[in-house]
Amino acid sequence: MKKETLIRAIAAALALVSVPASADAHLINTTLGDFYGGVLYPLSGPEDVVPWFALAILASIQYPRNARWLLFVFPVALVGGALLSVVAPALFISPAWNLAVIVVTGLAVAAAAKLPFPVLLGLGTLIALLHGYHNGQAMTQDTDRLLFICGVAAVGYVFVTLFTALAISFRQGGREWRLIALRASGSWVAAVGVIMIGLQLRTAAPM
Amino acid sequence: MPLAPAFAHTGTGTSAGLLSGFMHPITGVDHLVAMVAVGLWGAQLGNPAIWILPIAFPLVMAIGGLFGVSGFDLPFTEIMIAISGIALGLAVAMNIRPPLWAAALLVGVFAVFHGYAHGRELPEAADPLAFGVGFVIATGLLHLCGILIGVLTRWPVGAQLVRASGAAIGAIGGYFLLSAMGLVT
Repeated sequence: MKKETLIRAIAAALALVSVPASADAHLINTTLGDFYGGVLYPLSGPEDVVPWFALAILASIQYPRNARWLLFVFPVALVGGALLSVVAPALFISPAWNLAVIVVTGLAVAAAAKLPFPVLLGLGTLIALLHGYHNGQAMTQDTDRLLFICGVAAVGYVFVTLFTALAISFRQGGREWRLIALRASGSWVAAVGVIMIGLQLRTAAPM
Repeated sequence: MPLAPAFAHTGTGTSAGLLSGFMHPITGVDHLVAMVAVGLWGAQLGNPAIWILPIAFPLVMAIGGLFGVSGFDLPFTEIMIAISGIALGLAVAMNIRPPLWAAALLVGVFAVFHGYAHGRELPEAADPLAFGVGFVIATGLLHLCGILIGVLTRWPVGAQLVRASGAAIGAIGGYFLLSAMGLVT
């Protein structure tokens, strides 16, 4: 090391040492809390996770070109849904919609259906809009909406992309049973959706 | 001052719903043996039954769950669940090989009653959706257990072992039938 470089390095080190600051395990001053709030909110229950999982598996059994578009459209539609919840917070959306998309997505996976491109994209967009709206409703007056919505979109993108990639990787073994295992998971998702529709009908019915 | 014990985890909400749903088919021995028997029978029958039965079963079971959730009164539920253990156990023990449609129909009929029993408990769950996810996953994994045990049928000794397992399941089903009829306490 040259002498000048060494002197500069020592000077820089002394400058850093002479300006001490407290160290925090968690950087609370970054004010990114609402981003993490947005990331964690959809993961706190099965309402979002189950259909996202099914959508990812469905994407994995589509033609790659179509599936790539879904990965792009999904987070954008999540943002759209969340923004809609800001613009029109009192919009009534029947819970039956959420359950219907669970059943449809699950059945499509169970049947290993290769959906037409508009249908696949429409289904993904519908799920994202519904979930974006639902998650957006969790925001309060104090929530940094931009950060929260970014968090929801980020986790939606990462979740669907990751599970799609995992499912594709899983299938690449080539064995027939691997596709069947994915199809079985779709039938499980559809079964959950059907039962929840029953519960919804019971709740909605006058006692 | 009224004192109450403090818990780190209160056992409510999603986790409790998921856990209770997951444990429901596993802790109910009558459910457990029938689910394993479906997997065993599927493995005995080979392709395509080994794959069709585990995919079809949850969907048909969901229809039974729909009845249970909606409060529909399905008679003889406990008896039919016990009979499912006997019938599926005997099918495995005797290595019965009906046409695929007949096997699927038989399993489907029993699936309705198993789903109904689960569905009856769903509305009381801490988180009904999580409960549903839990019991469907547990049911699928029990089928998988049956299929994995059924792989033993590739070897002569293993095939005998699988048939013996079927006989044991049939006997357990018989016990639950007597219990459902009030003949055993």
